[in-house]
Amino acid sequence: MKRPPKTLRPTAAPTVYGIELGQSPAQWRILAADDSLFSLRTLARFLQWAGMDQVAFAQSGFEALRQAESFRPDLIVLDAWLSGLDGVETLRRLRADPRFRDLPILVQAATPSDHLRTVCFHAGATDIIAKPINPGEFITRVRYHLERRALVDELKSFRRRIERDLTQARALQLALAPEADALAELERASGFQITGALHSSDEIGGDVWTAFEIGEDRAGLFVADLTGHGIPAAINAFRLHTLISRAPRGDLDDPARLLTHLNARLREILPVGQYATAFYGVFDRADGVLRYASAGAPSPLFRPDDDTPFQPLDGSGMFIGAFDGAEYDNRTQPFPPGASLLLYSDGFTEARDPEGRMLGERGLAQFAAAAADTAPDSPAERLTADFIDCFGDRVDDDLTAVWVRRPA
Amino acid sequence: MDYQIDDAPEETIFRLGGRMTFVDHEKFREVLAAFDARPGKRLVFDLSGLEFVDSSGLGMFIIARDAALKKNAAFGLRGARDDVRRLITIAKFHKMFDIAD
Repeated sequence: MKRPPKTLRPTAAPTVYGIELGQSPAQWRILAADDSLFSLRTLARFLQWAGMDQVAFAQSGFEALRQAESFRPDLIVLDAWLSGLDGVETLRRLRADPRFRDLPILVQAATPSDHLRTVCFHAGATDIIAKPINPGEFITRVRYHLERRALVDELKSFRRRIERDLTQARALQLALAPEADALAELERASGFQITGALHSSDEIGGDVWTAFEIGEDRAGLFVADLTGHGIPAAINAFRLHTLISRAPRGDLDDPARLLTHLNARLREILPVGQYATAFYGVFDRADGVLRYASAGAPSPLFRPDDDTPFQPLDGSGMFIGAFDGAEYDNRTQPFPPGASLLLYSDGFTEARDPEGRMLGERGLAQFAAAAADTAPDSPAERLTADFIDCFGDRVDDDLTAVWVRRPA
Repeated sequence: MDYQIDDAPEETIFRLGGRMTFVDHEKFREVLAAFDARPGKRLVFDLSGLEFVDSSGLGMFIIARDAALKKNAAFGLRGARDDVRRLITIAKFHKMFDIAD
């Protein structure tokens, strides 16, 4: 018996483009269909040289179809001239079945003409091999197609896993925001109605917000946007959320002090060039004011009553996490019954219309007024939905809108 | 983002143009590498050709400042206009950067 050429000996753990396939030739199942048992045995011997021992035979087109179902091959070698159902028709029927649509099917034919090759490719052949079969070429092609398919499987499963992880991460991120019943309780205690909406550009992102009761008649609201996108930004958003929940109690009543504290903590954990824009405000019913500090957050939009247009408040301030020793100012804004405040991420104002004009604060103010008119109970969600209707879902930044209203 | 380097006797001017966003990290590394080649000189970002900068772009200014500080080189921003000017004003960059019109 002929000895296998050295180059065909199986190698452990094949890799393609440096990606480990997680499959070895011994796992691959091959179905060979040919009228001649002698040809089938020859093919099986070649395959064994390359470490592929799981080979099934079919001696007619109909048998090939049956074996495709029962043997579940990873690759089929099909002779173009089969008795009963011929090779090309067998191929067509296999391809019509969704289970075999992506299966590598190699058609072998004696001196195939250009016409026959074209017919075979149209019927769904993955590759064509001329008879008589050269073992070196045959094994190389079989391996190529199996590795290519294994690579696609590997990438598909990797993609599925990442998608599943991102979906879970997204649910976790959405869960960082206060739930509806917590916000209802906060409204009862403080007298401020807070609603929010969060929409991430790539499943997860760096936006985070939270609201809580500080004491009688007071609600604290924190909204931040970490630089960057995706997973790193989201991880930093979680870290920031943890820092808030552990902040000294006394800092929660003093917005500038809280931001100073957060800046120092973030400086310790963020690399240079990463930071967050942030807003922290204390809504005080007894004093009828909003006391707030801002770390370069987009200018909050404020209106004292429903009939007055929204106007931007001063949102200037140094980013948190960017510089050592950053200092912040407390600002005070009268907040009478009927007043509303909108906080938002820059994804809103930086959105561009087809002519390339940015929406800006003034444009967003119009969206906000319309949202409050149509959905007074959930203006933040309405605003975000209207915005996406207008600018599309694939805005390349996260969108967060938080709405605070002091009922009249 | 695109950039052009002008070496004057006392300072090196980096003229930034276009849109500076999170996709420009690679290019920004080239700019930082150019810092190394110019020890002891004052480094200036001329922003007059810059149309837009996002939060990552502002982060790159912070990284550049940090890199210059580590080399004991003076660093400044100059010529910001429109939206870029508005953003660095909101972020109170004048407290940490040498900023000129």
